[in-house]
Amino acid sequence: MKQFLLALFLLNSFNLSAQDSQNLSVNFKPTFNGEPLVLTDDEADLSGKDIQIETFRFYISKVELLNGGEIVYEEPNSFHLLDVSNPLSLNLSLNFEFNAQNPITHLKFQIGIDSLTNVSGAFGGDLDPSNGMYWTWQSGYINFKLEGVAAECPARHNRFQFHIGGYQGPYKALQTVSLPVANIEEVNIQLRLEDFMGKINLEETYQVMSPNKISHELAILLPSMFSIVR
Amino acid sequence: MKKWQIIIGVFVMTSLAFTTFENTLFNYPAYFPLPEYKFDNNPLSHEKIELGRALFYDTILSEDNSTSCASCHSPYNAFAHTDHDLSHGIYDQIGTRNAPALFNLAWQNSFMWDGAVNHLDMQALAPITHPKEMNERIENVIQKLQNNPIYPPLFYEAFKDSVVTGEYVLKALSQFQLTLVSDNAKFDQVKRGEATFTEQELNGYALFKHHCNSCHTEPLFSNYEFANNGLPIDSTLNDYGKGAITNYAEDSLLFKVPSLRNLSYTLPYMHDGRFRKLGQVLNHYVEGIHQSPTLSEALKQPIVLNSNEKTDLIAFLLTLNDKSFAFKPEHQFPRDILLPSTGN
Repeated sequence: MKQFLLALFLLNSFNLSAQDSQNLSVNFKPTFNGEPLVLTDDEADLSGKDIQIETFRFYISKVELLNGGEIVYEEPNSFHLLDVSNPLSLNLSLNFEFNAQNPITHLKFQIGIDSLTNVSGAFGGDLDPSNGMYWTWQSGYINFKLEGVAAECPARHNRFQFHIGGYQGPYKALQTVSLPVANIEEVNIQLRLEDFMGKINLEETYQVMSPNKISHELAILLPSMFSIVR
Repeated sequence: MKKWQIIIGVFVMTSLAFTTFENTLFNYPAYFPLPEYKFDNNPLSHEKIELGRALFYDTILSEDNSTSCASCHSPYNAFAHTDHDLSHGIYDQIGTRNAPALFNLAWQNSFMWDGAVNHLDMQALAPITHPKEMNERIENVIQKLQNNPIYPPLFYEAFKDSVVTGEYVLKALSQFQLTLVSDNAKFDQVKRGEATFTEQELNGYALFKHHCNSCHTEPLFSNYEFANNGLPIDSTLNDYGKGAITNYAEDSLLFKVPSLRNLSYTLPYMHDGRFRKLGQVLNHYVEGIHQSPTLSEALKQPIVLNSNEKTDLIAFLLTLNDKSFAFKPEHQFPRDILLPSTGN
């Protein structure tokens, strides 16, 4: 018993002197034109508004913490389905060993699912193909899904649908985001939807649901939505 | 190569072969190549295979409980759909392609005639959701299975979890289909020294090796790649195969090379079922090749066969019929699970 306590003591003091277990909460905050984004929950109603969002969900994967260009921490099994209709899904929690001599300067992640995972069969949890984020007629995850109604959209019931994905060929949709981190307890990331929607002409582009040239152009716009809230 | 490397290599190879024969759930002959399917990600178990078999035969996967996987992939047809040129789905709708036979799937890593599906696990999603096949949403399938008294206990036995998920449904379906190994045709019996070819079959085998084996490679009788085999396009379908999936011009009119095993059970032939008889297929290769930019290299030189040679070649092709596969009891409708009230 004495030996055990001694070992425990040594272990603790070693931990205290060198590294600390640190919890970083990463919170995604979707906004639209400066206001928190609110999804329409019943029949989309355009009265009094130009645009309404019904569905907004996307994958974040390969979450890493960096010191400059050096990886300090890689989240294991790092696949997250973020769904604006499920606020809990917008908060990630990273547990890592913090070492003051190797400070964290950046948070890096991918928007979407990598090609290896795309060709490796069925997975569960956030990657379960029954989450509505998998194409059935042609294999592949939908990295980013945004649906709603807009007055200017000429489609039936003014609906627009953006299902952005594709893991092979010239139209790979996977995107990388790297953001500066000053606080190792909490990082708040704003997702400004207007930075995506504002760059799309909804009179022409309103239904994108397969990997092609247009979906690739839209995928490239995605990282610009993400920024750190001071 | 050093001597010890050879010794280790031989040891690894014999232990692999030994594993193959030891495994009672998935067997294949030593002259088959190693499977493509990564069994480590979905380890086989009797319970999962049986759950997959129940799902394969259950119409619960379709919107109106009318159509199962077996509706178009019947065991007696080597899991194809004899006599239907194009597949026949829900509400008597007709699709655009011939339902392919299902066997030796563990050796394949892309699926559908155009390669649209990249993994066996994901394949079932396409027919379940297709409006002309089963017209159902995977989310609804999961809900229906969860609410059905038969299934939660089966999922528990298989996955130690009675909560039905998409992953479990797809992995169980894969497991049953992985067990559909066709390796007991007369060809296989000759390979194993249990039978001998007739003179006509031997003659046909020589012709096969000369004219067919580069794409329909033995012992699986397909290289499972994609090729344009010179069929003129059917203007009622305008099907460009793999080209429509990848958008690459060099993939236009490429279709998956099917296996030549079990031809007597899997007619009609080709991606659109345009030929009902093997004679028509041979006539196509001899005199019907349609020239186009993506035509297979192997077909650019004409294939010359006289009528005796055609007869001999067909005699050989018939040695690839695996009757014991088509009638194997473990592959049939799971009466004890899906029809327990009959008491059988």
